[in-house]
Amino acid sequence: MKMIRLKNIHKSFNNLEVLKGISLEVAQGEVVAIIGPSGSGKSTLLRCLNRLETLDKGTIEVEGEILAAEGPDGKCQYVSEQKAREICFKMGMVFQQFNLFPHMTVLDNIIEAPMLVKGIKKEVIIPEAEELLKKVGLFEKKNSYPSRLSGGQKQRVAIARALAMKPDIMLFDEPTSALDPELTGEVLKAMRQLALEHMTMIVVTHEMAFAREVAQRVIFMDDGDIVEEGTPEQIFNNPQHVRTQAFLKSML
Amino acid sequence: MEKIITMMGPMLDGVNVTLQMFFITLVLSLPLGLLLSLARISKYKPLSFLVETYIWLMRGTPLMLQLLFVYYALPLVPYIGIKLPDFSAAILAFVLNYAAYFAEIFRGGIQSIERGQYEASKVLGMTYVQTMRRIVLPQVLKRVVPPISNETITLVKDTSLIYVLAMNDLLRTARTIVQREFDMTPFIIAGAFYLAMTLVLTWGFNKLEERYAAYDE
Repeated sequence: MKMIRLKNIHKSFNNLEVLKGISLEVAQGEVVAIIGPSGSGKSTLLRCLNRLETLDKGTIEVEGEILAAEGPDGKCQYVSEQKAREICFKMGMVFQQFNLFPHMTVLDNIIEAPMLVKGIKKEVIIPEAEELLKKVGLFEKKNSYPSRLSGGQKQRVAIARALAMKPDIMLFDEPTSALDPELTGEVLKAMRQLALEHMTMIVVTHEMAFAREVAQRVIFMDDGDIVEEGTPEQIFNNPQHVRTQAFLKSML
Repeated sequence: MEKIITMMGPMLDGVNVTLQMFFITLVLSLPLGLLLSLARISKYKPLSFLVETYIWLMRGTPLMLQLLFVYYALPLVPYIGIKLPDFSAAILAFVLNYAAYFAEIFRGGIQSIERGQYEASKVLGMTYVQTMRRIVLPQVLKRVVPPISNETITLVKDTSLIYVLAMNDLLRTARTIVQREFDMTPFIIAGAFYLAMTLVLTWGFNKLEERYAAYDE
């Protein structure tokens, strides 16, 4: 089953066209890595999926349900706010800057949305949250405030927080870019674990080693377009396009 | 000493008026200020513009003029004209004025919250109201404690303006006694009362800041 279907996505900021007609399908359990130079539109593509940016043109389908489609006038029309929200919280998202809630403890960060949005009872969600914290190795930090955590710990809490909503798809927007190099490992480990559990994942990343090792498909974007895609082997060992070659060379 | 004790009776009545003005104004203008700030940042332009104009009017004219207007001029306005008793008129003017200042403080606080907080809330499925109530406003409260504290202390002293409506607050009572007895002691007592109120408020706001210090940002 296709978890995500994008057709002919266009997005401009003012007069700058950031996405120039992208189409993409992601299957259940697939791990897709999106790589490319900064300004290539890869983060914007991810943010279009869950309405952090609204499309100018194109179609988005999540698990067979239409989130946005082209209307008769060629412009993009979204489904109702309520419906869109229900579709979007099937997708968890992890941000470069973590975006934890600083006024809540680690545990409260995780249980807030399930209680508020899904109406899950506190006594039900707390054991689940604790289980997630154990999974990312932060159970002993459950009563700490985010400011007491390292960047790597914050990002692992952010992953647990997203997972508490029981998403079918996880979106990662440069999850390790704000971290000190020695802290990226612990975050990548948690992500690798998720991939092993067959979570559908789209990862925008600069971690070439991670993309090569964990992703089933690598997409190279440049200048608002998908330039090349393929298995990690194809992209990293035998890139076809000159721009892909140049980018990979610059990453070494 | 005996003289001071006989002065204390009317002065305490004055303190009572001052405290009532202070508390009622505070309790009404804080929530109104919050509502105004939300309207001010609304994406609905006419509403935002209306509130902007209101704030300009309230901050751009003297509070004393507003007091006089509500008490003397409002009854003359056709259709909506209403004659208020002095205390209600004073409360109305103070609440309208202070809400404007509080609105700007809250607006500053709300706009200082990073966009990432809204994005994380949205991605987790929260509505705008849920995001404001559970994520944004609790953080805003921490950030606005110092400016709110400032404004609140100013309010204590601004209450003395109600003398223009011939209301017997602390300062007017003191002045009446001074003029009657040619003794400056009431001024000193009044000053001590204002200082004491400010001391209590400062202490209270410090406690509040300590409580919010449980988390850093």
